[in-house]
Amino acid sequence: MWIRFRKILLLVCIIIVYVAADDFKEEIFIKPLPPTNLYVYFQFITQNEETSFEHSHLAPRSLGEIMSRYQVDELHLTLTEGQWRHNKWGYPILDASSGAELYAWFSPSVTDVDTHWRKLSATLSGLFCASLNFIDNFNTVTPQMAMWPMGAIKVNKNVTSQLRYATLPREIVCTENLTPWKKLLPCESSHGFATLLNSRMIHNTNYHSIGVHVRKICKVEDCSEINLEIKQTVALVYDLKIINRLDWSFAKLFGQGLPGPCPLSSSSKIYVDVSSNDTFPFKLYPLPDSVIFSQRGGSDTTLAIYNIIPTSHMINIGVEYGTKDKVLVTIPPPLTFNRYVLGYGKEFGGIVTEIKNNYWAPIDIVLLENAPWWLPIQLSSLRINGEAQSKLVKSLYYSPGRSRQKPYHLEILMRLPSKSTTTITIDFEFVFLKWQEYPPDANHGFYIGSALISANLPTARNYTSLPVTGSTMDSIINASKPWYPAIFRTNGAMVSLPTPDFSMPYNVICLACTVVALAFGPLHNICTKELVLKAVGSPISLRQKIMNLFKKKQD
Amino acid sequence: MLASASFVGLLIVIGLPLWWKTTEVYRVSLPYDKISAFNTQAHYITTELTVLATDEKTAADVAELIEKAFKDCDVLKLKITRGVLPEGLRRSLDSIAEEQEAVEEVGGAFDLTQHNKLYVVQRSPLFQDVWLGTERVVFFRDAKAADTLAKVLKQWIYEPSVLRGARSETADSTRRVRFPPGQGYHVVLSVVHPKPQDLKVEFNARDAIEDYIGSFVDELDVLHNFTLKSQWLYLLNFDFQATEVKDDSEWTRHWAVREERLHLLLTALEGRAATHVSDLPTLNLAFYILPCAHAPLVIYDSDNKKVSSPVQAFMSPKWGGVVFGNPAPSDCGHAPTWTPPITLLMGTFIAQLRELLGITDKASISGAHLEQLRSVSPRRWEVDSLLRLRTLEQLSAAHHDLRSLAQLLGEISNIVINDEVGASINSAVTSSVGAGEAAARGELLRAYRTSLDAYLAAESAFMEPSLLALLYFPDDQKLVYF
Repeated sequence: MWIRFRKILLLVCIIIVYVAADDFKEEIFIKPLPPTNLYVYFQFITQNEETSFEHSHLAPRSLGEIMSRYQVDELHLTLTEGQWRHNKWGYPILDASSGAELYAWFSPSVTDVDTHWRKLSATLSGLFCASLNFIDNFNTVTPQMAMWPMGAIKVNKNVTSQLRYATLPREIVCTENLTPWKKLLPCESSHGFATLLNSRMIHNTNYHSIGVHVRKICKVEDCSEINLEIKQTVALVYDLKIINRLDWSFAKLFGQGLPGPCPLSSSSKIYVDVSSNDTFPFKLYPLPDSVIFSQRGGSDTTLAIYNIIPTSHMINIGVEYGTKDKVLVTIPPPLTFNRYVLGYGKEFGGIVTEIKNNYWAPIDIVLLENAPWWLPIQLSSLRINGEAQSKLVKSLYYSPGRSRQKPYHLEILMRLPSKSTTTITIDFEFVFLKWQEYPPDANHGFYIGSALISANLPTARNYTSLPVTGSTMDSIINASKPWYPAIFRTNGAMVSLPTPDFSMPYNVICLACTVVALAFGPLHNICTKELVLKAVGSPISLRQKIMNLFKKKQD
Repeated sequence: MLASASFVGLLIVIGLPLWWKTTEVYRVSLPYDKISAFNTQAHYITTELTVLATDEKTAADVAELIEKAFKDCDVLKLKITRGVLPEGLRRSLDSIAEEQEAVEEVGGAFDLTQHNKLYVVQRSPLFQDVWLGTERVVFFRDAKAADTLAKVLKQWIYEPSVLRGARSETADSTRRVRFPPGQGYHVVLSVVHPKPQDLKVEFNARDAIEDYIGSFVDELDVLHNFTLKSQWLYLLNFDFQATEVKDDSEWTRHWAVREERLHLLLTALEGRAATHVSDLPTLNLAFYILPCAHAPLVIYDSDNKKVSSPVQAFMSPKWGGVVFGNPAPSDCGHAPTWTPPITLLMGTFIAQLRELLGITDKASISGAHLEQLRSVSPRRWEVDSLLRLRTLEQLSAAHHDLRSLAQLLGEISNIVINDEVGASINSAVTSSVGAGEAAARGELLRAYRTSLDAYLAAESAFMEPSLLALLYFPDDQKLVYF
């Protein structure tokens, strides 16, 4: 009896010790995207032992201060350059709309969510050097069906009203965003996997996205105690065609090898998806520490795992391809989508979203269209496959926008039939902006943000996301579930609004000034000056000069 | 002719006033006369002092001497009451050996908890002329000690020179060190550990700051609200440009760092410590743990002399303090683990905090004894002197703000003064007048709080962004119609 009790006691102690310390993990997931692309995904996970943030160990205090001051329960911020091509590349681990995307759930005790939201975005803008301060009520929506919290938030509460979502599709992501992002890591960029994040190399990729995701996770099984998880991610897609060689290595991708793990991390692992080895044979070097075969929702994945331990030399993981010229037929993922703008002229236009279900069973999706106030979309013009009343629509939410105050927000819950393409068309009309509302370089066009598609996929084909309960990459191994939730962002679009000729006043001024100068100059000269003959005589001697001087004095 | 004349007439009669009215800048009327009537230099604080002696004559002599010593002091007005010690108290004071117990005896007879009230008590069996502890009681031996007593009151307790510095426009040496007044502060303890892979440090930052700093700032809660925070900063490498010097210590060496080099560390700390995200001013306390390979670090002053103190530390005015943790050679052996000496460490931090919050160092006075601090909490009379200091400082800062603002608003007629700014200026004026009166009456706590209100209102009016709304191209507002 006593021994058993002691065992229990020991177990309890171990658990307490285990949860009492902050934990930091770093991981890289590498997946070749045949034929020529390579997906590299970094994630740095910091688990804070407490949710108060007043005393932080490994978690960044700057972020904690912001989270606690604005009472944020869950926060997702991504800064992305480029467009993820779902039909070619499959699905990313975390999708992000291009530009800046920010959404957050505030604590249920917050009553004035909009004010907190504005302050939050303004503060984050300072922290990440991004123009998030342009987030205001006129570009913020509250998704009703498309989004759900990823963390442990009590389900009986109405969390939707505490959610705010905004994107800035025009935002350009660069080094100045990456540097403050790196500062949030406990090892900064001096040690560990973050040393690979060379802005010179990663901003040259086809697609790069940096993100910060803060959520609450259960500390114990019954969720009576809650931990805070800060996940910092970097997703990169390299195009190996550019360098004309499919072989890649760390030195080629990041400009240097990996010096070793972060001394503070409890686990530093690199996962390489070698499933495509069967069709596109390659050789991985150095040999992985282990190879794991994972079956998840009808798709098989083989993962080579490197457990990085401190070494004295640089670690350079890479692959060499055997045969170079091979034609590959990629199988598209179960759900693909495309979005484009219709119309001509400067009066009316339309947005078309095409969603293709390649799977043999129907898929339920929620589509969120979020149009800015200067692009009024009318619900009456909504057509699904050309029909105004479609049987596919299960539920619909529409919130009309208001000029300069509120965006247009449309959400449709619909069931896509098996092996079908659904076209959702909605018309908009162009509006005239006030002259101060045009951005610099107005003729560049105006960005429309991505639409959100959230789906419960019945199959895990091309699906790489982590399960909701998991934080590390190993949670995807054999994680079969009845369905696989995912939120995708379609590609954005651009429209060109009627733009005034901004150079006109300048031209007029130039012309007018030229005319005035040409006309006024001679006129002024004629009116004010007269021609006088100058007396020409013999040069005066010095004596005469002195005499003249005296004469003048006498005058 | 008539038509155009009437047109012009109409334009002048209706158009001109309309134009004038519509282009007017909204300005709330301000109490300019009250603001210009401010006299910051006339403020003083009344404080109560009770002289208790064994006989009437000593009490009168001592009281007179003290009064004389403070006669030319315009920032402080002493309200001296004198009396004879009650018989029972006198006897017990004479018989008790321990000073601390004697203070407790006085506390039994008189109320020592009141702010701004000091008791000067005669105690014959004293070894020194004057004895001062942590409570609001000063003991003196006899009438001959009156000179020392006056010195103690002047240099330790009331510090009129510091008060005068707080009241003046220019900053004196103590004001250059202490933080500007405020409602609250964040105290952030940053444990900097440059080489976590080589040395394991057993230190609980949360417990340390809550136990030590927490009990220190709890005593100051009449002045400010404090929020305690801690963080660890790993892998922050700073090159001290230290030179190795051989010596006969346990380490057989030390690393010499020049004093001028240290302040560059603050830049490196600022980059990581995230002080800018707080909404309140942050008092930074940094504990820099030296890696075994670079321990021990010894600071050399500008004369190239070793700074000899048990803890190597330095302070940066209005920023915070840095303490260096030097592990011993025994900690750096096999499987290096170090437990920092927590009392020494936190004691140093508290010494730095005291100065940063405005408690001055007390220079020794011959014949007077100042009881050493046994616990982290400040002495009671130090809290009182802080209250006096901050009251005057806040009042003068509020006056300064209001005067500058009034001058600015008076000079530039295009600045919009909205209701909010008007209300905060008005409330600042009312509070500052109230605070001045309360200080003169000797209601110290009330004076402190109202002066804080005045200061905060004046600051918020001064910093109001709406004041800048029309400041750019001000005349365009009027002339744009042409």
